[in-house]
Amino acid sequence: MVRRVLALTSGRIAVAVLAVIALLAVLGPALAPQDPLATGDSPLAGFSAGHWLGTDHLGRDVFSRLLDGSRVSVLGSLEVALTALVVGVVPGILSVYLGRAFEWITLRVVDTLVALPFLLFAVAVIALLGNGITQAMLVTGVLVSPLFYRVSRAATLVVARSPYVEAALVSGASVGWIVRHHVWAKVLPPIAVALAQTIGTGFVIVSSLTFLGIGVQPPEPTWGGLLASDLGYLDQRPWAPLLPALLITVTVWACNLLADAIRDVSGEAGRALADERRAGRRRSEPTPAGGTR
Amino acid sequence: MTTGSPTDSPAGTPAGGPVPPADVPGRAPAVPVLAVTGLDVHHGRRRRRRPVLHGVSLTVAPGETLGLIGETGSGKTTLARAVLGLVRPSAGSITLAGEEVSTHGARQWRALRRRGIVQYVFQDPLRSLDPDLTVERSLAEPLLVGGVPRAEAATRIRAVLARVRLEEDLLGRVPGELSGGQRQRAAVARALVTEPRLVILDEPVSALDSAHRVQILRILKELRAAGVALLFISHDLGSVAGSADRIAVLHRGELVESGTARDVITRPRHPYTRLLVGSAPTLRGAPADRAARDALRALLPA
Amino acid sequence: MTSLTPLSEHRPAEAPRTEPSGDRGAPVLSLRDLRITDRVTGRDTVHGVDFTLAAGETLGIVGESGSGKTLTCRAALGILPPRFEVTGGSVEIAGTDITTLTPRAWTELRASTISAVFQDPASYLNPSIRVGAQIAEVLRVKKGLKRREARDGAVELLAAVHLRDPELVHGQYPYELSGGMLQRVLIATAIAAGPRILIADEATTALDVTVQAEILDLLAELRDRTGMALVVVSHDLAVVAQLCDQVLVLRRGEVVEQGPTARVLHHPRHTYTRLLVTEHEEYGLEKFLRPEEDA
Repeated sequence: MVRRVLALTSGRIAVAVLAVIALLAVLGPALAPQDPLATGDSPLAGFSAGHWLGTDHLGRDVFSRLLDGSRVSVLGSLEVALTALVVGVVPGILSVYLGRAFEWITLRVVDTLVALPFLLFAVAVIALLGNGITQAMLVTGVLVSPLFYRVSRAATLVVARSPYVEAALVSGASVGWIVRHHVWAKVLPPIAVALAQTIGTGFVIVSSLTFLGIGVQPPEPTWGGLLASDLGYLDQRPWAPLLPALLITVTVWACNLLADAIRDVSGEAGRALADERRAGRRRSEPTPAGGTR
Repeated sequence: MTTGSPTDSPAGTPAGGPVPPADVPGRAPAVPVLAVTGLDVHHGRRRRRRPVLHGVSLTVAPGETLGLIGETGSGKTTLARAVLGLVRPSAGSITLAGEEVSTHGARQWRALRRRGIVQYVFQDPLRSLDPDLTVERSLAEPLLVGGVPRAEAATRIRAVLARVRLEEDLLGRVPGELSGGQRQRAAVARALVTEPRLVILDEPVSALDSAHRVQILRILKELRAAGVALLFISHDLGSVAGSADRIAVLHRGELVESGTARDVITRPRHPYTRLLVGSAPTLRGAPADRAARDALRALLPA
Repeated sequence: MTSLTPLSEHRPAEAPRTEPSGDRGAPVLSLRDLRITDRVTGRDTVHGVDFTLAAGETLGIVGESGSGKTLTCRAALGILPPRFEVTGGSVEIAGTDITTLTPRAWTELRASTISAVFQDPASYLNPSIRVGAQIAEVLRVKKGLKRREARDGAVELLAAVHLRDPELVHGQYPYELSGGMLQRVLIATAIAAGPRILIADEATTALDVTVQAEILDLLAELRDRTGMALVVVSHDLAVVAQLCDQVLVLRRGEVVEQGPTARVLHHPRHTYTRLLVTEHEEYGLEKFLRPEEDA
């Protein structure tokens, strides 16, 4: 599937953008040319050789702060997505197999979770448990998990009613065997789509929280925090908020692009699409020969 | 044989019991591979509960082919699913190779199925093989589930392929890369790898073109010659007639007629069977039958 | 084509026009060496289909999926999918070469002169409109009937296709009807404007055998009563044998056998036709019916 995603132009772009962002998150602090926390004597400076992207109101190097801030955002969104994945997928698949009671209970729990607004809930959790982005992200992950529950349950239901699963059942296969050999491959693509989408959502949530100043202590840089502080000095540096805003937008966009690409290449439709492209290529090559005939 | 009567007399007690093996000349009486007695199945729960099968009794002797005819809504697929343990009967008994299975729990069913005595071929050849698995993996599944080592499974798969006339290089392909006929033969091969004593086939040829249809029917004939019992389910008397030793006719959840293939086709007793025989398209196609069919239609309740 | 529309007032009025198989008058449908090409691959998918059909006659086209039987019908109806085109031969409907037709003339011709029913009737009806209204629409558009007349006409047509309770069916939605009933409704729609040619493309394939026989009986009856020409397309030789005068066997776009039904059934020349016959004789009912006939 990875190869098929990379065959699409949109898939390549999305993967390239996300790879760069991930690299920034891992290597950012090391790459930062200056200490992101060190205040300088030339606040609100423009572009210069010393400060590529200028300085903020306390004279800190903006470029270094952006690089350093990427870590919080990326880790935060990954936490959201992975929590949601684990909490959602397992009961989603099992709800089809573990009988009516389990199905009923999980469905009601999911309904409840959907009813809770996750941003407000994250704020409330931080207020309750103290200022820490990790707790907030774990809780948000749980609140986003209904998406994964629904997606994996729907895919499993389709597979569970198919003749080949019944054929496996008639051969004496256990539920575990069926999930491993038949269900898993069908459930994976929609989950991958949901995962890519959720990482994007996670980015928006982390950025929103840090924009509001929740979850991270002030001197530490984050993209949302940078955006917020830059907004206060619009009259001196009107273009400054564009940089963190652009980074957030591009990352979320790349996530959604990746989700689209995965959806396009997965399942029956994806196989048909791939075949069509292959046929198209084959068709376009021998056309001259056919034309001259 | 009680089932000739259109009333529900065979319900409850197996009055006439299984068909005496005398029906099938040259076969010694033996424990039937399948015996269904007074089977009732209901669908739905509580207020929406409705009967699907009522008082159905039939047997399949070892090596025998029973054709089960039923149209949409007759309950033929439900009967197959009940025999396979996919639907729980509400009354009656089912024995597979002498083992009473109607009261089996999930674990007992699994143990029974892993012995591979009974296999099932579905109607839709496109959907009865997992589209993501290679043919080889699909064929190996019943063996691996039953605890056969991988190497042995591989050799047994290849032996079965020859029986259904599929080439070995198809093993590496996924079902989407096979033709309809090849897929159905692969599905039959999958049912044969465990060397079952009974194979239940639900409309195995309905979705196929003539050439492929003949191929499958030929394979079924060879299976019968090899001593495998078949329960051949179809809505079309015509496709079963040439392969079955005996034919049973299911109409609205009840068995209205059963007997040797020749008797049922040449001397049908129940009006529904007569209509079935009269409706099956034949090459003799006499338009004069039209009036006879209309008369029979009038006899059957709407 | 305006000359054609007024002639069909009602079916009974039309009936005396043609006594069964009596007049072998002018052909209503004739295909001359029809050739259909796949624009994408540049290959011929149908080549050299050639037949003539007079009023009250029935032609059977037999072939497996991909043999080109459906494309041939679609060419006659002027509804070929965009990737195919007619590249040779001609199709004449009631004496008019269809290549000369403007889209407007086609619209005039369809339903009132040539009509069709297909497999899977449910997909040809709008699921959210009552059955009666869908038939009435054809009557209003094609025959210019008033609302009231069209309603009565629709009920009459539903009765003509032997639906048990035409008044009830008239007010029902497609999902309330069984497959056999839907196919009857579709036949009613197809014959609403009194066509002279009806094409039944695998119209009974998805149905139960007893229902299939009912539909085939209905088609034969309508043909005998109205004198329309019938084209029955099927993958099953026996279905075609039920009611056709001539049979045309297609294989991979080529006509491998063509002739009167009895000749094709009893003395098939091509191996493929022989296979089709064998299927029935070896594995079908014929195995039992034949000896009885001899006795």
